[in-house]
Amino acid sequence: MERIDRLVRTWIASEQEQEIEDTVKEIEQGNANLLHVVKSLGEYLTSEEDDLRTKGVEFLSLVIARCPPEKLNRQSVRTLVAFYCGKLEDTETIIPALKGLITLTKLPLFTSIDAVEVAKALFAHVKMNVLVQSQRFMVFTIIDNLVANQREALKNMGDEFIRGYVGLAEGEKDPRNLLLAFAIDRVLLIEFETTKFIEDFFNITFCYFPITFRPPPNDPYRITTEDLKAALRSCLHATPAFGKLAVPVFLEKLTAGSPVTKKDTLDTLNVCLPVYGPAIAREFARKMWNTLKLEIFQPTDNVTEEKALKTMQVLIQTIYAAPAEQADDAEIEGLAKEACEECIQILREPEKSQAKHAIKVLCAFMSTTASVARFTLARAVPHFVKLFLDPDELPNRTPTLRLLADLIEAARESTSHDPEVLPEEGNVPLSPYKDEVIGVLTVGLKTPATAYPAIDALKSMVRTPGLLTDEELGFVVHNVNEVLQQDEDETDLSEVSLDLLCTVSAVAPSHVSGNTLPLLFSALPDRAPPRDADAERIKYWRTLASLKKLCTQPDLFETLVIRLSTKLDLLCVPSPSSTPTPTEDLEPAAAYAHSILKTLADVLSAKIELGHTDVVKYIDRLVPRLYNLFILSAIGAEERPMVATDPRLLAVAAQIVTLVTQTLTAPRQETFVKSVFAAYVDGDVSQLTEGIQKVPAGKRFSPLQPGASTYQKNLLVLFSAAVIALHKEVTLPVPDEVAFLDGLLQWIVTHAENALQREALMHLIAAVVNRHAEKLDAFLSSNIDGFWTSQIANQSASPEARRNAISTFTWLTKALLVRGHARATQNVDRLFELFDDEYVSWDAARAVGRIPGTDKVLTKKNHAVLRILYAQKYCNSVLPRIIEGAKASANSPRQNAYLVALAALIKSVPKSTYAHEMPSLMPLLLRGIDLPDNEIRAGVIDTLHAAAVSSEKDNAIIAEHASSLVSTMLKNSLVTQMPSVRVRVAALRYLAILPSVVRYDVLHPQKATVIRELAKVLDDPKRVVRSEAVEARTNWFKFTG
Amino acid sequence: MSLEQLAVVSAPQITFDPKYPDRVTVEFTPTVPHCGMSTFIGLSIRVRLLRSLPQRFKIDVRVKPGSHQSEQALNKQLNDKERVAAALENPALLEVLEQCLSTAGRTPHED
Repeated sequence: MERIDRLVRTWIASEQEQEIEDTVKEIEQGNANLLHVVKSLGEYLTSEEDDLRTKGVEFLSLVIARCPPEKLNRQSVRTLVAFYCGKLEDTETIIPALKGLITLTKLPLFTSIDAVEVAKALFAHVKMNVLVQSQRFMVFTIIDNLVANQREALKNMGDEFIRGYVGLAEGEKDPRNLLLAFAIDRVLLIEFETTKFIEDFFNITFCYFPITFRPPPNDPYRITTEDLKAALRSCLHATPAFGKLAVPVFLEKLTAGSPVTKKDTLDTLNVCLPVYGPAIAREFARKMWNTLKLEIFQPTDNVTEEKALKTMQVLIQTIYAAPAEQADDAEIEGLAKEACEECIQILREPEKSQAKHAIKVLCAFMSTTASVARFTLARAVPHFVKLFLDPDELPNRTPTLRLLADLIEAARESTSHDPEVLPEEGNVPLSPYKDEVIGVLTVGLKTPATAYPAIDALKSMVRTPGLLTDEELGFVVHNVNEVLQQDEDETDLSEVSLDLLCTVSAVAPSHVSGNTLPLLFSALPDRAPPRDADAERIKYWRTLASLKKLCTQPDLFETLVIRLSTKLDLLCVPSPSSTPTPTEDLEPAAAYAHSILKTLADVLSAKIELGHTDVVKYIDRLVPRLYNLFILSAIGAEERPMVATDPRLLAVAAQIVTLVTQTLTAPRQETFVKSVFAAYVDGDVSQLTEGIQKVPAGKRFSPLQPGASTYQKNLLVLFSAAVIALHKEVTLPVPDEVAFLDGLLQWIVTHAENALQREALMHLIAAVVNRHAEKLDAFLSSNIDGFWTSQIANQSASPEARRNAISTFTWLTKALLVRGHARATQNVDRLFELFDDEYVSWDAARAVGRIPGTDKVLTKKNHAVLRILYAQKYCNSVLPRIIEGAKASANSPRQNAYLVALAALIKSVPKSTYAHEMPSLMPLLLRGIDLPDNEIRAGVIDTLHAAAVSSEKDNAIIAEHASSLVSTMLKNSLVTQMPSVRVRVAALRYLAILPSVVRYDVLHPQKATVIRELAKVLDDPKRVVRSEAVEARTNWFKFTG
Repeated sequence: MSLEQLAVVSAPQITFDPKYPDRVTVEFTPTVPHCGMSTFIGLSIRVRLLRSLPQRFKIDVRVKPGSHQSEQALNKQLNDKERVAAALENPALLEVLEQCLSTAGRTPHED
């Protein structure tokens, strides 16, 4: 007790936190209770001195605020409420009293009687206009607490409470208080009896609309305009009673407001109208339509126009939704009818710009209510049909169809809410008119100008679920086929027609496969057109392009595969009766076969992108036929020339095999690989091949035998294609993988005849090493070591052989690097050792650069084992070493090798990996330009170009070297001094960019020379060089100080 | 809108005689016979070609016969070396000209 006394006295003197905390602690520990506090405070609470009285009440409020609620009993709450209410009268104690009440009103012991008392006291004594913002905030918080906890008691107070509250809320301006006030308003409007006061509420809410508040910088409360808008909006649509008063306000804001106000008003109308109800909507329908019309037909901007259309929809929905789905469609009266008539009136002139706006209104009507949609279609569709068929309106057919297409699309959008539920037959709004519409559209297809909108409209119809019958779809396909056939000169029209057919094939593939595909297939010749028949070649290209676009759908793809593989067999396998003519030109046939294979490959990869699951089955249907064809051809080619031995065909076939293999599961891959190995290793082709033409029994397929023909050996491409996309779980069907891989490695060295064969096996070995590195330790250590010493490090071997061996080694290292295998680093170290070599130093250097480059073999799609950021890690370890090596000694071959490595590395890794090293790289790159290798030179210039493009203006390093750069680039751009087109183009590009990265005063001395020299380049024999020269020269002409 | 879209310049209006491979004639059609920009259009064409073609070419820039009210004067002015050179020495004129030609090439970084 005494302690409390002491604490109170100290606090009154010092006003420190500490005393309050101590007091609360005393109460918590049960050493004192609130009664003691009040007693101790006694003299202050009643003191004559204003200051002391304020402090006394303040102390009490602070203590209560911190006091645990369970220490307050019902009695003390009651007493405190009475006490604080009394203190509200006193202007000096009102503020601390409000603080105390905030705490009290939250307590569970605070009862309805208290609530009424507090409310009455607030209304009686609190004058909002003399309080500052934070104090008003307390008042609102108290009322908020009351409304939240003691709603029933307040309701029983009736009008007194409402009147009192309106009095308090009137004239509030602070955003923080308003947020609270709006929340209270909303509750009162929804739950309380406010009919008598609707005008008052209207006044204290609508006076804030529209919110123009802009938050001050560094606003501590972080109240945004949006918060306020949302809070106010929630009041505005709290009661339908506002309707009569509110709509005129909205309309006024809409006509007079700024664009922002307009948007806000429209958004608010959208939420308010449904609440205000059909009666209000109908009453103001005419006025609202007139105002909205202005926004739609003369829009200030797109957003406002869209919002106005949305409001229009809401208005129509509100008016017509009420009499629950009128049974009789004809009974559309009022606004919808008038607006619709008005729009149709405008649509009599479809070519005028107003028609576009009118159709937007009608389209908006489509997604309002079903009856309005039906009514609109009943008016608009016959109107368009009539207009289209009117001979006087012939020139306006295109805009007419465009408008009709828009309407049909809107009708489709309005119906397709749920794709799972098919509407009942005839329940689609457009159904009654579909015959005439299809009629008009098919007429539209006949001329190119009207064909575009007609195709769009047909597409929308096809996409409308339940609208067209199967027969009608057939009719559509038939008509579009005609468009496709007539379109000779490859316009966009065939593009959009194919698009439509694709849409049809998604719902009814049978029509497309039954009608369109035969048409296209019959357009494909059985024999390749001869070399000079350009027109025919273009024709089959086009047909194949159409097929490519159309046939991703599973059923169609099946037909495509059957037809094209048959065509391929026909093309590539000569009939046994025909006598072989050695001079026969196989090139056209090969080109045709290539296009066919490419089509299949492209569609397959498109299907894989789309995630189609039917790709898997082509391991049985397409792949064996391909193997059959190519193996047959390779064996046959030993006697007579065969089309399907062309390496380019092999490449595409390999692509197809890899694509299909990618999609297989590991077990299926396992069986497939078994059959592939049976053919390639054991010579048993029966499991792998399938086709009408059988591989002759007497011939043996043995591509890996030393004595095999080149044709057979070339087929290793298809061997590798099957293996590079294997999952890592798949084991190869060989007794010993190490021995197998070593055998292949030796095969590359001793038997491979060309780059094709070598590469195929390199890819194969790399793929296997990448998947199974952990099982192949022996191979990776001893066999690779042996390979290195005998084939690469061995100075006596021919440089050519060593070069090939280096590229094999590169692939091996790459396979290890991408999976983060430790041996990759060791292999790279070895390559560095070769930098001093007389013959292969550059090849080793290039290899170092190329190892981290991306390729098509070790990819994620091919299920390669990849570690993320391997290129970055590689770069981080190798780049510093290269930079150091390149700087170390001047003008030695070793240093050049480092420059080569640098150029190659920069080309193969993403720019971000070396961007931070750019300052130290620049001088090296500038030296790299002088290397006598065009490929490297072009690469270096490209890198410099990329660096210049991304660098900020006034790049110091470039400026420093500017004059030497200019003269080097000029030298490299002249055809007399630089035979490589690629380097000339790169140099010119760099010259073109220079004026934008270097200050004029630096380059001024060069300008005349550059313009004079570039004039010579303008006469370059290559067109692409000339055009780059024009670009560069123009930039220099424009370059002035 | 570009001049090409307005059909002021078009590919068929550019002719050259195989007998004289170094001569090019470029014709353009002003949109209206009293078009005040015709000299400027002609000058732009000339400057663009001057910069883009090797020096061995001789270029004639003309308005399409009958398409402009002062056709003679215009053709004379456009093919007068001295007057073209003088125009290019006028900094104000050159600036406008560069503006006209700013979209002639590729936009930077496009490729």
